[in-house]
Amino acid sequence: MPETSRRDFLKLATASAGAVAASGCYDHVEKLIPYVVQPEEITPGIPVVYASTCQECPVACGVHVKTREGRPIKVEGNPEHPINQGRLCARAQASVGRTYHPDRYQGPMRRGESGALEKVSWEDAIATIRDAIQAAPGRTHVLGGNTGDTLSALVDRIVSATGAGGRTIYEPFSNQTLREASRKVFGVASEPIFDVSGADLVIDFGSEMLESGISPVEHQRVWAAARDLAAHADGGARLVYIGPRLSLTASSSDEWLPAIPGSEGLVAAAIARVAIENGAGGGAHRGLLSGALASASVDAAATASGLEAEQITRLGKAVAHAKSAVALPPGVAVSSRRAIAATSAVLLLNDVAGSVGGAVRIPPADDAAHNRASYRDVLALGKAMDAGEVDVLLVHDSNPVYSLPKASGFQAALAKVKLVVSFASIADETSEQAHLVLPDHAPLESWGDAAPRNGIRGLVQPTLRPLYDTRALGDSLLDVARALGDTIASQLPSGSFRGLVEAAWAGAGLRRSLKKGGSFAASAQASVGAANAAGLELAAPKFTGSGDFTLVAFPHSMLGDGSGAALPILQEIPDPVTSIAWDSWAEVSLATAEKLDVETGDLLAIETSAGKIEVPAYIRGGIRDDVVAVPIGQGHTVGRFASKAGQGLPGTARGVNVGDALPGHVDESGAQAWLTEKATVTATGRHRRLPVAQPQDNKRERQLGEVITLAQFLEDEPAAAQAGHGEPAAAAHGGGHEAPAADAHGGGHDKPHEIREPYDPADDSANQQLEDEFLMEKAIKASEYRWGMTVDIDKCTGCSACIAACYVENNIPVIGEDESRRARQMAWIRIDRFPGEGDRKELIPGRALVGPNHEKLGDSDVRNAPMFCQQCGAAPCEPVCPVFATYHNEDGLNAMIYNRCIGTRYCANNCPYKVRRYNYFDNQITKWHTPMELGLNPDVTVRGQGVMEKCTFCIQRIQYARQESKNAGEERIEDGAVQTACQQTCPSGAITFGNLRDDESVVSKTADDPKRGYHALHVLNTRPSVTYLAKVVRGPVEG
Amino acid sequence: MGTQRLPRRCTGLFAALVLVGALLVTAVAEPASADTARRASSICEAQELKALAAEDPHLVIEIPEEFDKAFPTLEACRSHEAAWDPAAEGPLQPIPFSHKHHAGDWKIDCQYCHSGTDRSRAAGVPSVEVCMGCHEQFGPEYDTLEGIQILKQYWAEQKSIPWVQIHRMPEHVKFQHQAHVRAGFECQTCHGPVESLDKLYLVPDTKWWQYGLPTQKLEMGWCVLCHRDNGASQDCLTCHY
Repeated sequence: MPETSRRDFLKLATASAGAVAASGCYDHVEKLIPYVVQPEEITPGIPVVYASTCQECPVACGVHVKTREGRPIKVEGNPEHPINQGRLCARAQASVGRTYHPDRYQGPMRRGESGALEKVSWEDAIATIRDAIQAAPGRTHVLGGNTGDTLSALVDRIVSATGAGGRTIYEPFSNQTLREASRKVFGVASEPIFDVSGADLVIDFGSEMLESGISPVEHQRVWAAARDLAAHADGGARLVYIGPRLSLTASSSDEWLPAIPGSEGLVAAAIARVAIENGAGGGAHRGLLSGALASASVDAAATASGLEAEQITRLGKAVAHAKSAVALPPGVAVSSRRAIAATSAVLLLNDVAGSVGGAVRIPPADDAAHNRASYRDVLALGKAMDAGEVDVLLVHDSNPVYSLPKASGFQAALAKVKLVVSFASIADETSEQAHLVLPDHAPLESWGDAAPRNGIRGLVQPTLRPLYDTRALGDSLLDVARALGDTIASQLPSGSFRGLVEAAWAGAGLRRSLKKGGSFAASAQASVGAANAAGLELAAPKFTGSGDFTLVAFPHSMLGDGSGAALPILQEIPDPVTSIAWDSWAEVSLATAEKLDVETGDLLAIETSAGKIEVPAYIRGGIRDDVVAVPIGQGHTVGRFASKAGQGLPGTARGVNVGDALPGHVDESGAQAWLTEKATVTATGRHRRLPVAQPQDNKRERQLGEVITLAQFLEDEPAAAQAGHGEPAAAAHGGGHEAPAADAHGGGHDKPHEIREPYDPADDSANQQLEDEFLMEKAIKASEYRWGMTVDIDKCTGCSACIAACYVENNIPVIGEDESRRARQMAWIRIDRFPGEGDRKELIPGRALVGPNHEKLGDSDVRNAPMFCQQCGAAPCEPVCPVFATYHNEDGLNAMIYNRCIGTRYCANNCPYKVRRYNYFDNQITKWHTPMELGLNPDVTVRGQGVMEKCTFCIQRIQYARQESKNAGEERIEDGAVQTACQQTCPSGAITFGNLRDDESVVSKTADDPKRGYHALHVLNTRPSVTYLAKVVRGPVEG
Repeated sequence: MGTQRLPRRCTGLFAALVLVGALLVTAVAEPASADTARRASSICEAQELKALAAEDPHLVIEIPEEFDKAFPTLEACRSHEAAWDPAAEGPLQPIPFSHKHHAGDWKIDCQYCHSGTDRSRAAGVPSVEVCMGCHEQFGPEYDTLEGIQILKQYWAEQKSIPWVQIHRMPEHVKFQHQAHVRAGFECQTCHGPVESLDKLYLVPDTKWWQYGLPTQKLEMGWCVLCHRDNGASQDCLTCHY
């Protein structure tokens, strides 16, 4: 601290206040620390963006990493990347948190006598591994997850050069089944690419294409494009979802067939049969009827799936009549031990539909790491470890102790390995059992590459210097191998791992690739012969156990296979379907709940042949009565956020690991079968209040998530009635920016303004009074901007990528489980989810907070209504602020000035949309654990205790664009120059943003939709800047 | 730091005493003779004596060859001294850097060192490399100035210079340098006559509201008055978000 000299003290003490100020009052001395050598590309205050590749899942989307002063602060999609084209999912958005994770290992560690990890030097750590390997030649094993190509090749070389016992690649969710089915049906063992952009019928057999499926960001984008109402007058592609629960994908489908899980293959085969019989492929596939599809029948499928025969026949006819029909194979949740047969049947259905080679492309087989992952191999490794055949186990990019089922015996066998080495960057269950931890860099600190798909190679480049004393996995392994002697070292490449990556990219042009993010070419297609599925064994799957319920373990939308659990943002964002955060839950139907006499939050005991888990119930209408569904991904016992260690309960699991109730069977392809258990479900009599963000899903017929039917949309006249109830159309607002007379924001728009009761357009006195009293009225009228947004809820899937983007962009604190339970989430966007119109009934008195669920089995009418500050033209929050901390600015924004706020919370009380968030606690101090603050966006104030906050349309981005456009000498900000964080990432492109005063702007044109456009709660006459576009109900698929 | 600073202050004091003494001597002892010749013991002292001799032809000075150099100039010496005057306004910096010498005497453009000013919100403090870009090219006689020695030591150790911030915006303000520079405002409008100051401090400025209320430099009212006078935005969101 700076010393105050006597002189300074006397100055302060004697001089008058004015004199003190005049003489310079240095009460708070800050140092300016310049660079020693300023890097050429860095100018303080200007972001530098690097192209790289996301490493959160094997899809490997391209990203642009935005850095400020050398620190990555935000990840956005790379628009040039062919897979994601600039969009990202929530997991990728949150991935920047891995760099600044407080649980990172800060250097090499060794497990000491006491069992705790203690520091060790790299030399000693590597010598320990060298000695252990030399002591037992051939008894070393490398176990790891999906890595990039260069790294994978290096690991292979090191394994063979050192004479290690072997290498196993393991991913909890692998594509093995799909590859094996493709080999069986088409003769090419590769992962087919499903491109639904040109499809008019998509049937998802539980792949969860919009959520956790094969390539969710890409599928959301092409799915939304395929049914974009501007381009497709008939409503575009129809989506049919076949699966036991109303998942996120099912919620966006046009028709949901709640089939018994495991019956997908039978249904697909029956659909294929009907399609052929109705002329699909012009008779080319008739041979299949007596071959592979000989045993397929509609009646058998209907019996096995619990669906109506009519539904299956109708779908078969629809496939036959569709121009392009695409079927997506069963995903993790419904992968039984007969998954190959089911997947083969779906691939066969694609062939019957004539899509193979067009919408469904089969790339040539390749040997990428993620294609070699095998669950069977890791089980064999566990057996070898148990038999004492493995002395040294090197574990990287994988957390087998958590993700392998307990029944596999891997965890117990690990204790028999003499030296377990983990390369984890963030502490996890496996590294906590390791004898040595040689931490890898965080993904944003690493070099690497990825080849997710034929023709597409992504390059990973570091965006900051490693924060800690970590070492790249490739370099650590090279160091170990070189320590083993010159003979081995001579067989290995010289130099560092970075050099290997650079050499691998020399052919493609390293500099160009670094700029672009990789090299992108069209995917080659393998020559595919006639589909052959002679050996298709169509039968209901085998189940273990004798309970009344089928246990469905499904991937968590946010946490994936559990690897996202360490990231606080992913824990805090509520599950898009149930709105539960920070915990596990068991979905049971209303009938089941009645039978068991439980309410949401009551702990259920789910017992299978493999074990028993206790999970709080979540009662919903959108699930089969014979199914209990539990998400995969929670139940970690290590980690500040992943477990309850951050809440003072170290070692306590957060939620449950559903793997504890699964025996971990293998399917024919060697992948893990997740759907194998019949379970008994009993009430325990105990209760745990779940952190449910949206406690009730009753829309109560308010104008929140509106729908119109396709017929209404296609009619020439404005829609007369809304689907579901007989009130006037959703469309009756005309866009609040249109009529100057009626709108405090007018000017530039002279279209008639129409707002239904209680507002009477003829009576303008209220508005006139408002305008007269409005201090900034003149400025508002003179401004050339009115920032506005449209949200197309026909495209919104509820995936919550926008929420994650908003968290990262706007420094929104993550408040944790306890505060979430008190509904104090700080998210500026929430996604309200309403199944149907709801009713006006009151909540049942005395009932638990979670209201009755309005979902219905087989009804996919779900409206996702993202809700954030509507930037109202006549904002109820503004007049009640006693200190003008919130006011209307001339560009139509409902400004929120944090340093002016005194925390009366009047504004939040008066906001009908409930989008204002209050800092009850010093979140800026207590929630940003060191070094998380390094990832804060320096352009956005970190709000202090006692301050209200809310969305302001990413004002920092508006101001940045304003300055950029001024610098460029433009008259005004060009349309599209400002992209809000939520808009930028939205995988389905549901959000547009821009200037409503510019008639040519995209947002003006989008908002000007007399049929679909509506303002949320427009009866309140708040005149929002946000226009929602109603969902169009396309109805069930016609035969 | 404290142990280093004491001798520096002492030399400064000593040099000042010598200077004052010399002035007294020249004023009183007139005419001078050869045996009272004044002998320089540093380059800076030599520069002072040369300047005195130029004023007063009777003054006899003796300048050893080792101190008879063109650089550092008299202005440099005086700026160096003044920048390290503890009695002067403003905080002591780790290096007696004089804005007057660089921006005033040598007319180095502000943006040569503060290079982000016209394209970034942050003006940017020059890196040590920027300082060394010029100073590495100067002859060894420059190193007689202690400030240069300190600079070279920072460079040798590859450490940043912890400058004390003078113009600190209050919290919760998102100030844009580029907006103001590109609008044609002189740096001096906010930073004061930097080119005439050896030791930098927050040069006070008071503006008067029409109600007769004063507002001081870098206070919000001071900014707003200027925004108002120049027709710039007065929207809170312009600076607070």
